[in-house]
Amino acid sequence: MKYVIVGNSAAAVGCITGIRKVDRESPITVISYESSCYSKPMIADVLVDIPEDKLIYRDEDFFKSNNVELVLGHRAVEINTDSKVVVLDSEETVPYDKLLISTGAKPFIPPISGVDKKGVFTFTELSSALSFKNYIKENGLEEVVIVGSGFIGLEVAYFLAKLGIKVTVVELLERALARAIDKKGSEIVEKLLREEGVEFIFKDSVSEILGDEKVSGVKLGSGRVLKAGAVVVAVGVRPNTELAQTAGVKVNLGIETDDHMETSVKDIFASGDCVECLDVTDGKKKPLPLFPLAFEQGFVAGLNMAGKRMKYLGGLPLNSLKFLPVPVLNAGIVNPPDSSYEVLVNDRFDDKGFYRKAVIKDSNLVGFVAVGQIDRVGILTNLIRQKIDVSEFKERLIELDFGLVDLPQWWREEKLKNDKTAYKDWRAV
Amino acid sequence: MGNKRKLKKVYPIEENCISCRYCEVACTMVHSKSKDPLKAYKLENLLPRATVEVKGAVSLSVMCRHCKHPFCFDSCISGAIQVGEKGQVYLDEEKCVGCWNCVLVCPFGAAHPYITEEKGHSFKCDLCKDRGFPACVEACPNRALVYDFER
Ligand SMILES: Cc1cc2nc3c(=O)[nH]c(=O)nc-3n(C[C@H](O)[C@H](O)[C@H](O)COP(=O)(O)OP(=O)(O)OC[C@H]3O[C@@H](n4cnc5c(N)ncnc54)[C@H](O)[C@@H]3O)c2cc1C
Ligand code: SF4
Ligand code: SF4
Repeated sequence: MKYVIVGNSAAAVGCITGIRKVDRESPITVISYESSCYSKPMIADVLVDIPEDKLIYRDEDFFKSNNVELVLGHRAVEINTDSKVVVLDSEETVPYDKLLISTGAKPFIPPISGVDKKGVFTFTELSSALSFKNYIKENGLEEVVIVGSGFIGLEVAYFLAKLGIKVTVVELLERALARAIDKKGSEIVEKLLREEGVEFIFKDSVSEILGDEKVSGVKLGSGRVLKAGAVVVAVGVRPNTELAQTAGVKVNLGIETDDHMETSVKDIFASGDCVECLDVTDGKKKPLPLFPLAFEQGFVAGLNMAGKRMKYLGGLPLNSLKFLPVPVLNAGIVNPPDSSYEVLVNDRFDDKGFYRKAVIKDSNLVGFVAVGQIDRVGILTNLIRQKIDVSEFKERLIELDFGLVDLPQWWREEKLKNDKTAYKDWRAV
Repeated sequence: MGNKRKLKKVYPIEENCISCRYCEVACTMVHSKSKDPLKAYKLENLLPRATVEVKGAVSLSVMCRHCKHPFCFDSCISGAIQVGEKGQVYLDEEKCVGCWNCVLVCPFGAAHPYITEEKGHSFKCDLCKDRGFPACVEACPNRALVYDFER
């Protein structure tokens, strides 16, 4: 058996871990055009001069001890399903018996005029983060405009402000992180960022990037003009499905996979930001570009590639704002779409520095927000996953000391005494 | 197939627990620099890795379950969480970048955040690996904690 993995990030490492649970022998080849296995969520830290080796997610030892051959610095350009080979940009071919596509996501770039000027950056790869950092230094930038107020945009904004650069975030919607978090959460995040010096312009968009060759400013839809030495476009990512398409794999919004993470083409699996993931909160398949989900999907794909039949039971949207001094966590549905959802709130942010919110639908917890005090909120995440009836204790969900004692005794008996902690028992919904 | 686990870990016995919190004190102490219970809390500001939960007459001490498929491991962006030979789940506080993903996903609430002004890190039960035998189990006067092979 010969395993090949395209991509060298969360999903790839999950896959290696999964394969090696079943098959300790067969060779694995990992292909990536990037030079190391670094952690994407940490790349913004290079702006504040974190040493690059700190970013390493899995070092050489990991690959060596797992008998993985690394083919780095090469792009896979084509998959030939007849001869079962991956073709590299060097025209070399790598044969596979089982293949994992974990090519991640690409930044989405809206059609703004002037977007090809020097000084426009995206922020999803270490190389782009580094070239942005160099550009700042070389040009002694004082003003930067960020397009989009998602997690990546805000993180970059925060670090730039820390460097003393004047940052303006331009967002089409009426608040920051509008898709990811609730209104109160946005208010808190905006306040914390404003305290660092970040400015926000809501309900407006960048319609034109100004400057001759290099960026000198932006023009907004409202007509307003802002001075800027660089623009960071951070309006979201799209699954990177280019390579998959050369294999004729079925692609919707992302690569389509079955319960076992196999694509529509036999022996080709896919995981991570490039696929459509089953969201357990609504049962829909959609791109959910998140680190823990990428790892897990890769893990399940690995098990299946090595012959152990295991279903991927889906994931839920979850996020942690890791750069702010106050932790902001959320999971599941935090903006209930209609009045059939019940919302409980415990807002003590102004006097005690914490905020909790729980969203309930039909006796189940479906989402929560936790700000400030976050210890043990994983218990809530688990309630969402396992769809345990919370009606008996729902008013406890937003208390800081909510714990396992609040759960039904049968749950504790099953989970703590019998200690079922394997994949199936947990991911079951 | 992969390695068979032969892992010993700490099991809470809810019926025996009287919420005296000796386990918490012992845990904090052995993980402190001073090895002194008072200093550990007051000067080193340490927190216990086991949490005694109380509700009416029910109480129990909860610590890391060293899951077979640990959510915390899956979600750790820095590689700080690693699985040991027998399946022990370790968190390297030096490597941790304080992204709180493990806190967000641990179904038992057993990965805790240590949040400081500057930036923090997470911490969790390490089965007292430097000590050999879990201090919480030793400290429990009521046999409400048992150190035993995984069932
Ligand atoms: C700045 C930033 C912050 C983030 N913060 C968080 C966070 O806090 N929490 C969170 O959950 N998620 C976060 N994410 C998202 C997280 O990084 C991704 O979900 C995760 O990295 C996805 O892993 P992956 O393995 O699917 O793909 P990726 O990490 O995107 O990796 C794709 C890999 O494929 C390789 N590749 C692609 N195409 C080819 C090809 N044709 N040939 C060879 N190699 C190829 C690339 O070199 C790379 O190694 C963040 C992302 C960014 C950019
Ligand atoms: S910290 Fe939580 S998820 Fe991780 S091994 Fe321990 S109990 Fe399992
Ligand atoms: S808080 Fe630390 S240990 Fe926990 S997931 Fe993040 S980096 Fe890993």
